[in-house]
Amino acid sequence: MRGVIRIFQEATPEDRKKYYTREWKPEKIPAFIRENIHLREFGFDHTGQGPNDRYRFFRDEKLLKKFLRYRAPYAAYSSVALYDKPWKREGWISSELVFDVDAKDIPVRPCGCDNVCEECLDQAKEIVAMIIDTLRDDLGLQEIHVVYSGRGYHIRVLDPTILRLDSEVRGQILRYVMGGDVPRLLYTGLDGRMRSLDHFMAPLGYPRVFTERSRYIILHLSGDEKIEDITRQTMNKIMEYRDLIESDKWGEFKGVIGPRVYDRLIGSVAKLNLQLVDAKVTVDLKRILRLPSSLHSKVSMICTYVKDLESFDPLEDAVPDFVKEGS
Amino acid sequence: MAMVSTVFINPFSQEAKELVKASGDLDRIMEEDARLLNIIEYTRGQRLDDDSRIPGSLWEFAIKRIEWYLEKKGYQRYQPGYYRFLFNPQIAEFDVITFYVLAQAIGAKFNPNSRESRIFMESEAEIVKERLLRIESRERERVISKILREMLDSETPHWTQLEKLLENRRIKLTELILKDGEVILDKSATGRTQQVINAIREKIIPALIVQETQEYLYKVHEMAAKIEPHPILTRLAEKIRERISREFFIPKKTGARTIKASKLDFDAFPPCIKNTIKGVRAGNRNDAIVLLLTGFLSYARLYPSVFKDRKPHKVSDFDPTLNITLNEILPMIYEAADNCEPPLFQDDPQEKLNITAKLGFGLHETPSLENEGETKWYTPMSCEKIKIHLPVVCKPDSLCEKIQNPLTYYNRKRWQKKRKNEGGDKDIPRGNTRR
Ligand code: SF4
Ligand SMILES: [Zn+2]
Repeated sequence: MRGVIRIFQEATPEDRKKYYTREWKPEKIPAFIRENIHLREFGFDHTGQGPNDRYRFFRDEKLLKKFLRYRAPYAAYSSVALYDKPWKREGWISSELVFDVDAKDIPVRPCGCDNVCEECLDQAKEIVAMIIDTLRDDLGLQEIHVVYSGRGYHIRVLDPTILRLDSEVRGQILRYVMGGDVPRLLYTGLDGRMRSLDHFMAPLGYPRVFTERSRYIILHLSGDEKIEDITRQTMNKIMEYRDLIESDKWGEFKGVIGPRVYDRLIGSVAKLNLQLVDAKVTVDLKRILRLPSSLHSKVSMICTYVKDLESFDPLEDAVPDFVKEGS
Repeated sequence: MAMVSTVFINPFSQEAKELVKASGDLDRIMEEDARLLNIIEYTRGQRLDDDSRIPGSLWEFAIKRIEWYLEKKGYQRYQPGYYRFLFNPQIAEFDVITFYVLAQAIGAKFNPNSRESRIFMESEAEIVKERLLRIESRERERVISKILREMLDSETPHWTQLEKLLENRRIKLTELILKDGEVILDKSATGRTQQVINAIREKIIPALIVQETQEYLYKVHEMAAKIEPHPILTRLAEKIRERISREFFIPKKTGARTIKASKLDFDAFPPCIKNTIKGVRAGNRNDAIVLLLTGFLSYARLYPSVFKDRKPHKVSDFDPTLNITLNEILPMIYEAADNCEPPLFQDDPQEKLNITAKLGFGLHETPSLENEGETKWYTPMSCEKIKIHLPVVCKPDSLCEKIQNPLTYYNRKRWQKKRKNEGGDKDIPRGNTRR
């Protein structure tokens, strides 16, 4: 049973002390942060009430190490932005592009657990893989890093082309990558009349992303969700016929549930698509994120840099020694 | 059909810039140009019956270029026959010089965020759209391809090259087709996919040109802070300002009979509106709310004198923050929708979009300034139409005999009420018979 008993339980101050003195090493901080510690703002939570200790600045990793060993904070964070004066959050240089997938907040969770469990953590991993595919294949981005946050994943993009984009453009990337807008595919037919094409009829670019995300949502519905604009009866119908979507027969599915209901459904699904991530995080240039290598004390797991997403298993790779020893 | 030069569409091409460099000096823009007049005269469909409507010089051309847009937006007086020359590709050379004269005048004298700059940019977008539309389709595709290469060096640019367009919401990322970081704008697809891409190509050209125009205005504005602009540009800017404010001038109320916007007075509503607010049954429900009530309430609240002034406006001309629209008008419409049997949005939620559209904000869930102008602000239905399409709500009373539109009813009734109140002997109760 892989020490599951103590994971997801809160770490005591002694556990924290143990972790930061015996287990934590600066080498566990990923290189993209280690090489510019002096340009990032750090924040800490000492009491479990949130990161109230902000505007922290460390000239080098030795000072950070000292601080962590001595204070053994409940949680540690660093900014996604680099600044000339991180202690004042001034002189903004650049910001990573971030997607935050929290297993607890996935809008469609067949597991139905009230915190996180193996099943929804797996779901989070699947979502991360989809997002990365789109970032690579559609937006052509590289330097994409993944960090296990303790309750989900952070995708941190350091591709030089996006580092200086403003919040508006990041919001647009978010909508593209998550499938947040219902595609409007208008075109002029050969007869000169305006026509429109359903998203599933155009399997490329954004319409394809939208179709994929929507498919994910619909296939992961438990049937008990309350969805805007969708009645109980419609929901039952969706559940009954969603096999059609599984085998990519969208047109047939649309026919069965009726075109008007369908339009309403995908309008609502678009909103759910966006909720697969925490949208606020992506558009916030000055966000602080849990520091990879630090301890997520609420669940007693390590915020861990993920080298290989496919083989990564949080219940194996993000468990601190004090938990392993204790179980 | 003859090949169309991209100069006609894209004032930022190398060719266009060279043309402008080679053109004469600013002092001569007020001189009559026989070649220009000749092109206009031989433009197909051009009306020539009124000399004052035909620009003989670049100076006049510049004013006409803005005027065209102002009049087109104000569809009532718009007479396209006088502006045919704007869409004659032979005018390209004069047009591009005029574009720069205008941009320099406006950029030098007005802030790039001013109304004048905004209207100039909007007019440029509209001209570009309409010119593209009028080119025969094969030729159009060729011109678009050429302009894309002029402006982006490629028909498959990297999406970050469109950063400024995205930042200013001139286009949305989700409207584009991306592959490996490239925006697919070329002609390599087939069938319907290519037709979808063609629609994107057509949409992106005006967006690109407006973006460049804005950046150019910023540049000129910065320069003007250092170097005094040519006096003729200052004069032109003044003239443009005058022309634009004439369009936006709302006559000051004079005397008691002018119609002024103020809080809605339910008592003064005509029977058809009162009946609609009470709720309408399924058959007439959608039209009553979307077509009748939306137009009536919005105009009654914001622009009750529309039929008297006969000047088209946007909602934001009266409600710049949309505060009234969102907090007074829409709640009333939504409430009436809820009173219907069955409630309107329950089975037709998309009618919310149609309501937004009738207010002039395009097909969106709620009105927002950035979408304004995507559709027109619909004036209230006339009694005649109501009697045909919505007979159930029309229960005329005696005042109804004197009017042709529920909005007129409202204005009269309010005026009557006001006169009655100002009548002095307020304490004496009046019978219903007195009118
Ligand atoms: S006459 Fe006009 S105002 Fe009177 S009820 Fe009919 S539509 Fe309404
Ligand atoms: Zn779970």
